[in-house]
Amino acid sequence: MRKQLIGGAAAALSVAVLAGGCAANANQDSAGSGASSLVIGYSEGGSVLDPAEANDLTSDTFVYAAYDQLVQPKVEERDGTAVADSGQFDPMLAESWETSDDERTWTFHLRDDVTFQSGNPLTADDVVYSFEHVRDSSSASFMYELANIEDVEATDEHTVTLTLSQPTSLLLPLVSQYSWSIIDSETAEANGGAEWLARNTAGSGPYTIEEWDPATQAVLQANTDYWQGAPQLEQVTMKFISEASNRVQLLDQGSIDAAIEIPAKDIETLQRNEDLAVSSEPSNRILYFALNTEVEPFDDPEVREALSYAIPYDQLVDDVMYGQAEPLRSALPSTMPGHTDSGNPYSYDPDKARELLREAGYEDGFEFTFTLGSGFQDWNDDAVLIKAALEDVGVTMNIENMARQQFLETIKEGSAEAFISKWTSFVNDPGYHLGFLLATDASSNYGHYSNPEVDELLDQARDEQDADKRDALYAEAQDLITADAPWLYLYQYKQVVVTSTAVRGYTFYPDEIIRFYPMSKEEA
Amino acid sequence: MLRFALRRLLATVPTLLVVVVISFALTRLLPGDPARAVVGDQAPPEAVERVRAEMGLDQPLPVQFVSYLGGLLRGDLGTAWHTGRPVLEDFADRLPATLELALVSLAIAVLVAVPLGIASAVRRDRPIDHFSRVLGLVGASMPLFWLGLLMINVFYGMLGWEPAPLGRIGQGLNPPTDITGLYLLDAVLSGDVIALGSAAAHVIWPALCLATGTLAVISRMTRSSMLEVVEQDYVRTARAKGMPETVVVGKHALKNAAPPVVTVLGLQLGALMGGAVITETIFSWPGIGSYVTQAILANDYAPVQAFTIISAVVFSLVNLAVDLVHGLLDPRVRHA
Repeated sequence: MRKQLIGGAAAALSVAVLAGGCAANANQDSAGSGASSLVIGYSEGGSVLDPAEANDLTSDTFVYAAYDQLVQPKVEERDGTAVADSGQFDPMLAESWETSDDERTWTFHLRDDVTFQSGNPLTADDVVYSFEHVRDSSSASFMYELANIEDVEATDEHTVTLTLSQPTSLLLPLVSQYSWSIIDSETAEANGGAEWLARNTAGSGPYTIEEWDPATQAVLQANTDYWQGAPQLEQVTMKFISEASNRVQLLDQGSIDAAIEIPAKDIETLQRNEDLAVSSEPSNRILYFALNTEVEPFDDPEVREALSYAIPYDQLVDDVMYGQAEPLRSALPSTMPGHTDSGNPYSYDPDKARELLREAGYEDGFEFTFTLGSGFQDWNDDAVLIKAALEDVGVTMNIENMARQQFLETIKEGSAEAFISKWTSFVNDPGYHLGFLLATDASSNYGHYSNPEVDELLDQARDEQDADKRDALYAEAQDLITADAPWLYLYQYKQVVVTSTAVRGYTFYPDEIIRFYPMSKEEA
Repeated sequence: MLRFALRRLLATVPTLLVVVVISFALTRLLPGDPARAVVGDQAPPEAVERVRAEMGLDQPLPVQFVSYLGGLLRGDLGTAWHTGRPVLEDFADRLPATLELALVSLAIAVLVAVPLGIASAVRRDRPIDHFSRVLGLVGASMPLFWLGLLMINVFYGMLGWEPAPLGRIGQGLNPPTDITGLYLLDAVLSGDVIALGSAAAHVIWPALCLATGTLAVISRMTRSSMLEVVEQDYVRTARAKGMPETVVVGKHALKNAAPPVVTVLGLQLGALMGGAVITETIFSWPGIGSYVTQAILANDYAPVQAFTIISAVVFSLVNLAVDLVHGLLDPRVRHA
C-alpha cells in the first residue's frame, strides 16, 4: 500500500515536471547578465520614493535616478575625477533663468522637448505642482520656507515665475536638490497624489524603478526615451547588504561591480585588487566634538580654546580613519563654497593647551561627561584617543555610552555636556549649513552656541546675491566661530566608492548621492 | 483528543494577549522616535509633530493600544511605515523565503542530528560519540552572527564554494515559475534544472548556519534519550531473541526514545525563528527576518509587533502539535 502511494506521487511529480518543462521563464544554459548592467552594493534599502519625503542615501539615489530638477550642479574635472562642488549651476529642465533687479522675482524657462516617462510633455504646471508638493510635504517643507517662496506661477506653458518674500542666495542650491524634483503632475494626480508617490515614481529621469524591496534589492531600468539620451547602463541593480564585511568580500570576489560605505580599514586591501578602482573624495560629511556652551567650564571660551589645542588631529585621521578623512579646519566642510580656514590657529599642542587652561583658572584640570552614541566604530576610537589626549593636559573625560536612538534623543534635549556628532548638508551652501548647526536658534545647535555677530553675518549673507561679497561675510562668520570654538573640529569624511575597473563615468557629488546616468561599464 | 486540542487552543488566548501587551509596550519603550525617522534629521520639530499626529502617535498609549487591538481582532496587523504597505502583505511576500530556509535547515538538523545522536548513544565513548559531543558543544555555543560571517568569509571569500550571498538565486537567473513560492519545490515542479541547482546552492549555506544550534540540541537530546532506552530490559530481551541490531535500535529503542526529542524539536522552533532574523540579515536572504531587522532599525512598530505575535502563535500551535504527536508515540500520555 505504502509503495503504491509513493509510486503514485512519483508519477504525478514527473507529469508535473514534464508539463512545467516548457514554462516561459525557465532558465536556459546561456543565461547571463549583459555588459551594460551594473550591480552596486548599498547598506540600506531606502524608505520612500517621494522626492519631497526622501531623506536617506538610498531613497535619495532613487529620486535622482527617476527624476530631473530645474537646474543641476556644475560638474568639473579635478585630478582626473569628475566632481560637482563648485556652487555653480547648469541648466537641466530649465534651459535658462533670470532674476528681477530686486532679486525677488525669478523666471525659469523650461525646455520644450522634455517628456516624462509616462509620455506626458513637461509643462510649467508640473513645476508648480512639484513645488507645491514640496510645500505640503513633511520632510522638505522647511526647505520651501528657506527658499522664501511666496508664490509659484505658470506664466505660460514653458515659463515659471517664482516670487520671493525676500531675496535669497539659497534658491538655486535648493531647487537643484532632489526634494525639488519635477513630478509628472498628470500621472501623479490620476493615481492618488502624494500617497501614490511614496511607492511609485512619475519623473522624467534616466531610470525607472522596476522593482524595489527594501530588505533585498532594487532594480532600475534605463529610460530609453530619456531627453538627454538613453543611459549607457541598461540596468542598475542596487543590492542591500547590511554587513560591511560582506560588501567588501563581494567586491573583492567580483560578485558586484561597485559598493559604497566601505569601512576605512578595508580600503587598503581593496586597493591591492587590480580589478578594482577606489575613489576617495572629501564629502560634505563632517565630524565635530560639540561642547555645551551653557555648561561650566565650557561656557568659558578660553577653556574651549585650550581644548582645541589638545586634540591629536592627525592621529584621528591617520589611525582611526586610515587616511579616509581629512582634518576639518572650519565649521564648513572644504567642499562647500565659501569655505575658509584662514582664521584657524589650532594644532595639536598640549603645552599650549595646559597654559591656556592655567590662564583660565583650571591648572588642576576638570572633569566632564562625554556622551558617546553607538553605531560608528570611528566615533568609539576617536573618543578613546581624545580621552587619553585630554588626560595628558589634566582633563578627565568620562565616557557615557548610549544606543544610537537614545543618543539622538539625549543630544536633542540639549543636556549633553559634550558629544561627537556628524552632519551632511544636502544643500551645499554655508547659509543652509550654519543655519542648521550654529546659528543661535538653529534646530540642530545642541551645544547652544550663540554669537549675535555670527547671526547678523548669516542674515546679511543670506540676502546678498553677489557671490564674492557673500563669501566674505561667510568667511568672517567662520573666523568668529573658530575663535569661539563651540566645536573641536575633528575631521571631514571622504566618500569612498569602490568600483570594478570596467565601470566608467563615476562622478563625485559632495552629498554622497550617486547619479547613475553618467556611468557606463566596459564589455569584459 | 479533539477536546484536548480545543482546550489547549483556548488556553493559548490569554498567553497571546500577554504577548500582544508585551510586544506593544516593548516597542514603545525603545528609544527613538518613528516620526523623526520618517521625516529625517534635517526637518524641523513642527514637521515631526505633524507626522507624529498622522501616525496616531500623539494619542495616549492606552488609546493607541485599544485601536491596535481592534485592528488585530479584524486581522489587521497595521501598516509598515518603512514600506508604506500593510504588514500582512509584506509578510506574505516574504514568507516563502523564510519557510524554505527554515524547512531546509530543519531537515538538515533532523537528518544529521538524529542519526548522529543514535550512533553516539549506541557507540558510547567511541570516537563518533566524542565527535558528536564536541559538535554539540560548539554548535550550541557558537553565536549565529559570527558563524554566518565566518562561513561567508571561508566558503565564499576563500574557497569559492558558496555562491555570492545575495539572495535566493544566482544573479541573472529568473526565479522558477511561482507555484508555492518555495524555489526548490517550484524548480522541481516546473522542471527548471538550472534554477534548482542555483536555488539549492543558495539556500544550503544559510540553512547550515541556521541549523547548527538546533542540530546540536537535537543530537544531544537524541543521545541522552537513546542512552536511557538502550539499557532497558525490553531492549536486552529483543537482542537476546536474536533480533537484528538495526531493528532493535531503529524500531524498538527509537520509538521510545523519540518523545523527548520531538518535544525539544518543537521548542527549537523558537530558536529557529529568532535565528532566522540574524541569518537572513547576514546572508541577504529576502525573508521575514531581514524585513523585521529593517523594521527594527527604522523604529517601525507594526512589523516588529506582528512578528512577535505571529511567532508566538506559531510557537504555541507547533507545541500543541508536539503534544498531540507525543500522545501518538506514547499511548500512556494519550489524552482523554
